Amino acid sequence: MRFSSFTYLVGQGLHNLRANRLMTFASMGVLTVCMLLIGAAYLLGVNIDAMVEYIGDQNETVVYMNLDATEDQIAAADSAIRSTAHVVGVTYVSPQEVLSIYSDMLADYIDLESAFSSDNPFYPNYRVVVDSPDNIPTVKQQLEQIDGVYRVNAPLDLSNIFVSLQRTISYACYAVVGVLAIVSIVVINNTIKITVFNRRKEIGIMKLVGATNGFIRFPFFVEGVTSGLISAAIASGVVCGAYYALCRWYAENPTTLSQMFGGQLVPLTEVWYYIVGGFALLGFVLCGIGTATSIRKHLNV
Amino acid sequence: MIDFEHVSKTYETHNDENVALEDINIHIDEGEFVFILGHSGAGKSTFLKLIQMEEKPTEGRVLINGQDLTKIKRRKVPYLRRQMGVVFQDFRLIPTMTVYENVAFAMRVTNISTKKIKARVPFALSLVGLEDKMDRLPDELSGGEQQRVAVARALAHGPKIIIADEPTGNIDPEMSLDIMQLFEAINKVNITVVVVTHEHELVNKLAAKYNNRVITLADGMVASDTAHPEVARRYAAKVAARSHDGYDDE
Repeated sequence: MRFSSFTYLVGQGLHNLRANRLMTFASMGVLTVCMLLIGAAYLLGVNIDAMVEYIGDQNETVVYMNLDATEDQIAAADSAIRSTAHVVGVTYVSPQEVLSIYSDMLADYIDLESAFSSDNPFYPNYRVVVDSPDNIPTVKQQLEQIDGVYRVNAPLDLSNIFVSLQRTISYACYAVVGVLAIVSIVVINNTIKITVFNRRKEIGIMKLVGATNGFIRFPFFVEGVTSGLISAAIASGVVCGAYYALCRWYAENPTTLSQMFGGQLVPLTEVWYYIVGGFALLGFVLCGIGTATSIRKHLNV
Repeated sequence: MIDFEHVSKTYETHNDENVALEDINIHIDEGEFVFILGHSGAGKSTFLKLIQMEEKPTEGRVLINGQDLTKIKRRKVPYLRRQMGVVFQDFRLIPTMTVYENVAFAMRVTNISTKKIKARVPFALSLVGLEDKMDRLPDELSGGEQQRVAVARALAHGPKIIIADEPTGNIDPEMSLDIMQLFEAINKVNITVVVVTHEHELVNKLAAKYNNRVITLADGMVASDTAHPEVARRYAAKVAARSHDGYDDE
């Protein structure tokens, strides 16, 4: 295609955008709303993920060694725990350290240190951090096999709740994104169909004087993609702006509940490029599909 | 240049078959001026649709410049159409575009450079005497002038064949003669012209004056061809045989 033809076709597409401004405005409105909802679903999913991860990190799995475990056994267990898959952090707490912790806590009531100086009842233990709540059950099983281990306490119930919550929300978000993507395609498809119908005479003439299908399709493609990208720009601005404000408000108004989940949302700096890039891609692809499917019938002249 | 070899076209409806063309054999040479004459339902529109590749024949083959249209790939169709310029009865001008834009538009779609378009549109419009009305919209022109714009549009990209479908159907008689004379002038520069019409009187007048070839279609068959007198005899024999069969059936 000649450059002059390319610029002409782009110009025609933009001209059509202005000429059909009412329909363009309506489809861009629907598309923007769809993108806003998709953006909200995405951010909800990302934050739930982050919160579950945070809580997972806070809930340590505790490996209690036998009371009579020898130093060699403890050292061997140490390296066995560290080499277990999905284990990301290991801290050894000796019986003496446990005693000191409880002794400090109960200092006002009793002198635990002197009471148990000769007969410390606390188990030597390892505080183990697992990379994801998903992996806690497997890790627990592996840790129980290690020689000298008395018991493994893992926050399984809590992790199960978080994992199932995370999955449900993820599926719900995918479903929302899927449904809204279909709605967007239908809306774009209808807008382009109306435009094509209004210009069917012109298309017929173009075909009869020897225009290729690509030549006829291109301005409609430009029209669809431009409205998709404008919608993406508006939706990106609104979602990023609103999320920035929400992040600030969330951090400035802490509650017990919010503190439990880490006290802050995933920062905008970590997600903005996914939002802008995703919307631009969504606008481009959805409008491309919408254009391609709506014009096909009118090209059979 | 244009060849119809044993071409038949049948349209299938819900429970019936409509034979639009039956065993048509026509050869049109480069640079010829041919009238295709016939009443409504004679098969003229189907004849044009086959040339323009809007339809494919049920039997036989249509060739343009030796290219078999029944075998041509769909994506090649636009390039073949560019060898022709088509003039329609209803002009088919785009009402929102000026005269200049209408002609330029047809050139744009065939991927001609802007420089050439700027040079050729005024030239094409001057050939049809409309160089002073380039900025007008089609609605501001008379029927005859609109048809001349359509002729300029058909000519602008330099086609080898001009096909006109009832070009005088929507304009008054004085203008009709002007348009037909315009086609005669176009033919003088070795462009093949095929004019499809039902206007016997106008055709007889022009054919007598310019010695044009006239092919008459009737009931989907070639009833006569001034270049081939034997066609009329064959047609008469066929009609006689048909009516004879009709009596036998009764």
